[in-house]
Amino acid sequence: MEQVLKLRNLKVVFPTDYGLIRAVEGVDLDIYHRECVALVGESGCGKSVTSQAVMRLLDSPPALIRMDVLEFDGRDLTQCTEAEMQEIRGKELAMIFQDAMTSLNPVMTVGNQIDEMYRRHYGDSKQAAREKTVHALELIGIPEPKERANSFPHQLSGGMRQRVLLAMAFACMPKLIIADEPTTALDVTIQAQVLKTLRGMQRGCGTSLLLVTHDLSVVAKMADRVYVMYAGKIVEKAPVKELFTNPHHPYTVGLMAAVPRLTDEKKKFTQIPGTVPSPVHKPSGCYFHPRCEYATERCRREMPRLEPMGRDRQVRCFHPLGVGGKSSD
Amino acid sequence: MTEIMTLRNVSVHFPVRGFLPFLKKGEIQAVSDVSLGVRRGEIFGLVGESGCGKTTLANTMVGLVKPTAGQVLFEGVDLHSLPREEFKKTRRRMQMIFQDPFSSLNPRFNVYQLVSEPMVIRGEDDEETMKARVVELLEMVGLSAQDLYRYPSDFSGGQRQRIGIARAISLNPTFLVCDEPVSALDVSIHAQILNLLLELQERLNLTYVFISHNLADVKKMCDRLAVMYLGKLMEAGDADKIFARPLHPYTQALIAAVLDIYFSEEREIVVLPGDTPSPINPPPGCRFWQRCPKAMRGCKTVPPAFLEVEEDHFVACHLVNGFPNQDLPEGFDQPMVGREKVPGR
Repeated sequence: MEQVLKLRNLKVVFPTDYGLIRAVEGVDLDIYHRECVALVGESGCGKSVTSQAVMRLLDSPPALIRMDVLEFDGRDLTQCTEAEMQEIRGKELAMIFQDAMTSLNPVMTVGNQIDEMYRRHYGDSKQAAREKTVHALELIGIPEPKERANSFPHQLSGGMRQRVLLAMAFACMPKLIIADEPTTALDVTIQAQVLKTLRGMQRGCGTSLLLVTHDLSVVAKMADRVYVMYAGKIVEKAPVKELFTNPHHPYTVGLMAAVPRLTDEKKKFTQIPGTVPSPVHKPSGCYFHPRCEYATERCRREMPRLEPMGRDRQVRCFHPLGVGGKSSD
Repeated sequence: MTEIMTLRNVSVHFPVRGFLPFLKKGEIQAVSDVSLGVRRGEIFGLVGESGCGKTTLANTMVGLVKPTAGQVLFEGVDLHSLPREEFKKTRRRMQMIFQDPFSSLNPRFNVYQLVSEPMVIRGEDDEETMKARVVELLEMVGLSAQDLYRYPSDFSGGQRQRIGIARAISLNPTFLVCDEPVSALDVSIHAQILNLLLELQERLNLTYVFISHNLADVKKMCDRLAVMYLGKLMEAGDADKIFARPLHPYTQALIAAVLDIYFSEEREIVVLPGDTPSPINPPPGCRFWQRCPKAMRGCKTVPPAFLEVEEDHFVACHLVNGFPNQDLPEGFDQPMVGREKVPGR
């Protein structure tokens, strides 16, 4: 299969007055043609920093960024100049942000903002760009697209604004779209609408998708493969079906149990004890050991490596669950 | 069981003014004609999407918002007819836990100041008693005496929410309104806070009104619940009955829209089309008709009554209750099709 993105050993450090914040510590990512890859983790785990580093959107300084390989569609992005990056961003590598209200320009009509994509990347005339914009809005399921294109962002509802962002991201049929929490700010019924549209567009356009999210239920519906991040490191990597039917890392298991389901028993919530470690003072050994019920002396001393575990699976744990007779419950 | 909080035909309308302040352009009917009762010792869920009026309703319950019409009875006494001093005394027994622990705590107050503030307002001035009480409260919510002089910025989101809870229970309230207490928190912390709320409820004999848009949380937490849409109650009553047999199309859609975290091969996403319409000057009929997959012609103009269909299970829907016997438009029981449902037509 054709590889769209190859990232090796990404490290991002932010120097602060309180010490070094090691946001990302050696992350590898592979995304292939037409697949949807999810990057899951809680706030502060480094998932957004990873996605911004891939887009080369992180300012350095303050961030200190190191990576061995960043290949996008066969090209080495680490060697690209900012001008070349601007050609790639939006056209071949697009991004959808979480909060549509703040990522759209409030004093420009949404039509003009989408027109910009065609005019900037294809050199289209005003009329030609607007025709394409109206078509794009129609595809994304916005009623009366011609009139809506003349609306300002504040005149649209939250779901509608998120759809405008989708239309913008898909405008130039990019090879890869990075969606950073695309539905977190939306209501349940609107979230379902936007996810369905996103999935339909992704399949229809043959785009690859990197879905950055904290929501495992979204992952279960959307992703083909999943990376689970904790405190700056990948702790588990697996195809989606295997991850949900047989999670290996205690953190993944805990996270899944902590999501309430409609079928659960009443008045009791399964919890993971403790809190996410501060990025300045990370624990010794395995970063998850203070919260892990299976932790041993070795976990306190030594950081486990990301070991292969069956086909296309990797786990960073000395005592993976659900392997060789051990139950994951 | 006795009702601790009773709402009788409560409406809250906010005027919308235009360029000239005395010209009323319309009104936002944030809550219209809501009647419900919260029983002592239960957890009462309030569910709905943003803008449906659940927070306004909660604010009305604790007396932060005065209803435009109707009565709010707390332990049988009409809250808004009380004289000012009496009102303040009653208010002590009802407290709130807010959604965002980052903006609801004063960043320049330390934990001791934050948690003791309600006592200071009540007129307590003995430092020693207050300190002992604050430590006791902190231990109840899973913090310790060491945290006494730290500031909100030193704590994580989950810990800040614990401070918010300590503050809310400091005056021994009987009635607590939790307004989306966990939606700003991480998944792994989420469960910790909900377990803490359940534990405190049992220990201190509290009654909760639990506001949430997360149906899975509501199902696990609540004994009874009410589903709101655009300021009106759609369905209310016993939680088990509603989840076992949701009768209103909106409740059904909400339950279907919950994405389960089980992996299934087909991975179907169930979609309820359309957006929530604006609450300014809503249409006279059922508020849900534009998005309702089962809407009939009569739903557009005839408001459905809120009736009890089985014991402790109320629904406002013509499909369940039938149309009333009065002048109905022609073809009122015919399903609406296609373009008829486009707003503004």
